[in-house]
Amino acid sequence: MKQVNATVVSNHELWPGAYLLWAQAPEIAALARPGQYAMVRCGEGHDMPLRRPLSVHRTSLDGNVAFLFAVVGRGTEWLAQRKKGDPLDLFGPLGNGFDIYPSSRKLLLIAGGIGIAPLVALAEQAVATGCSVTLMIGDRTATRIYPDRLLPSGIKTVVATEDGSLGMKGMVTDLLPKFIPEADQVFACGPLRMYQRMAQMSSELRDKPTQVLLEVVLGCGVGACLGCTIETRHGQSLVCKDGPVFELSDIVWDKAVAPPAGRRYLRK
Amino acid sequence: MKSPDLSVQLAPQNSRGLRLANPVTTASGTFGYGAEYAEVIDVQRLGAIICKGITLKPRHGNPQPRLVETVGGVLNSIGMENIGVDSLIREKAPTWAGWSVPVIVNVLGQSTEEYAELARLLDGVTGVSGIEVNISCPNVSAGGMEFGASPEAAAEATDAVKANTTLPVIVKLSPNVTDIAEIACAVVEAGADALSLINTLKGMSIDLASRRPALGNTGGGLSGPAIKPIALHMVYQVAQAVEVPIMGCGGISTASDALEFIFAGASAVQVGTATFTNPRATLDILEGIKRFMEKESVHQLSEIIGAAK
Ligand SMILES: Cc1cc2nc3c(=O)[nH]c(=O)nc-3n(C[C@H](O)[C@H](O)[C@H](O)COP(=O)(O)OP(=O)(O)OC[C@H]3O[C@@H](n4cnc5c(N)ncnc54)[C@H](O)[C@@H]3O)c2cc1C
Ligand SMILES: Cc1cc2nc3c(=O)[nH]c(=O)nc-3n(C[C@H](O)[C@H](O)[C@H](O)COP(=O)(O)O)c2cc1C
Repeated sequence: MKQVNATVVSNHELWPGAYLLWAQAPEIAALARPGQYAMVRCGEGHDMPLRRPLSVHRTSLDGNVAFLFAVVGRGTEWLAQRKKGDPLDLFGPLGNGFDIYPSSRKLLLIAGGIGIAPLVALAEQAVATGCSVTLMIGDRTATRIYPDRLLPSGIKTVVATEDGSLGMKGMVTDLLPKFIPEADQVFACGPLRMYQRMAQMSSELRDKPTQVLLEVVLGCGVGACLGCTIETRHGQSLVCKDGPVFELSDIVWDKAVAPPAGRRYLRK
Repeated sequence: MKSPDLSVQLAPQNSRGLRLANPVTTASGTFGYGAEYAEVIDVQRLGAIICKGITLKPRHGNPQPRLVETVGGVLNSIGMENIGVDSLIREKAPTWAGWSVPVIVNVLGQSTEEYAELARLLDGVTGVSGIEVNISCPNVSAGGMEFGASPEAAAEATDAVKANTTLPVIVKLSPNVTDIAEIACAVVEAGADALSLINTLKGMSIDLASRRPALGNTGGGLSGPAIKPIALHMVYQVAQAVEVPIMGCGGISTASDALEFIFAGASAVQVGTATFTNPRATLDILEGIKRFMEKESVHQLSEIIGAAK
């Protein structure tokens, strides 16, 4: 982990309210694994004391790291306004990251909404190591679906939209009974209710090794403040350091709570 | 000019003393047990490390959410999650023993007896250079702030610790009181070698979507830049009332903030929330103080402590 004075290389709106930001940060790009994150300092001075955790979306060989983020509050609003050449204070890479078991050949990746962010890096790594990848993407409507042209080649994508404007109509979780059985390992990133739904699937589906990326408000990112402690079946864990990736079966889901929606509630 | 002397003696009346190479330390609960940030900054350059508050038995802490950001501040309701004093002595102290930076252990009791017991257990432990008595935690139902709210109870907790250790004892005061100087005088009377202030201010935030308190434990403690003017004023007030050294704490994010506290009467500063914003905050502050002293031809820190009085 390093605190890096990075520079914004590019930042543009990929779909309404979602930005793709590339920053030059060789120290982070060289170390980051899929599922790890950086703590991004937002705002000027100290008006936003907490950094915002953002997953590593992609890295490039020339030392750049990409974040894909939804604008939901003060911090991400500020971040959306960064322009090419602007400085950006990054702290990372942090956390454990996804773990593809050596025996896994067929991977199923499940993205709910902006949860696509860390899964693109994972899909790239999986393809590079010769795994076959099925990526399921679900969101409200077609305009919010991650563009095909930016996905790594050689993966199979399945899209579900709640309004049926693209792909299957419904939730990605509705499709799981069809896809989970043929996968060796499952990886998911999305809202808490998606995980809770997955945790309620039939035991046959639940027993498939499944890793999920958890969202909790983080303070320090290094296990120092104990702000992100959650209950697991093996006792307490720190989302920032022991996670953010956990086995679905390890989390006590009825005790899990989503971060407060805060200001974003009024924007809907 | 030769480089300025930043060292401070925090416990001049104590036989063991507590000499810091510089006045910049980490506030309890924001720097773990000291090693968490070791990969990011050279922790040996700090004046001291104050570790996460410790209790007799391990504690699980409060339910999520435990952190909420406010404008220029953070509300926390960690609830004193910690590994317990036995694990601390077994697993953490041996590491500290190999460090040149002094480590001060923050302790929280639920009763006077528990404060006494914690002091007794820590007394001879190599790697522990001092005890900070937390009588100001707003996030636990028993102990903590209960002790910090009345001069008598605060003095009792101080006395219980002092009677059971020869280690330097710093008492950490709560701002959630009517007259902090009165409490300060009471704990100094009871033998405190030094004081630290302030702990967090009680506060809350409500989530519009759920119409419920945003923190799992309803209320929490406010820290960060938002509380700095309050903390500074309290340090100033207490500095007029007592003779023992004071560690200033509350919203210190930059060297200018730290210098304000020193002018107000603090011999050292504790940096908390600012480390979350900027993991290098402590060392940046240290550099800034050094630069200031060089520029203003201040040879010794003691020349400027309490300058604003
Ligand atoms: C490990 C991890 C990885 C993440 N990766 C991504 C990503 O790649 N893309 C993306 O769009 N979002 C991601 N998030 C969520 C993202 O951190 C929040 O959306 C963001 O912090 C909101 O900040 P804000 O100031 O815009 O919102 P506000 O609501 O104004 O934020 C207020 C405070 O709450 C915290 N907070 C709010 N929502 C969340 C949340 N969902 N999770 C954690 N903290 C939150 C903020 O960090 C801040 O401290 C990730 C979260 C975690 C824990
Ligand atoms: C996450 C968090 C945990 C804390 N834990 C403790 C603790 O265990 N013991 C204690 O005395 N103070 C604790 N504090 C209070 C700080 O040590 C400090 O007094 C307070 O945060 C004000 O300083 P700051 O504004 O620089 O953060 C904690 C503060 C935070 C933010």
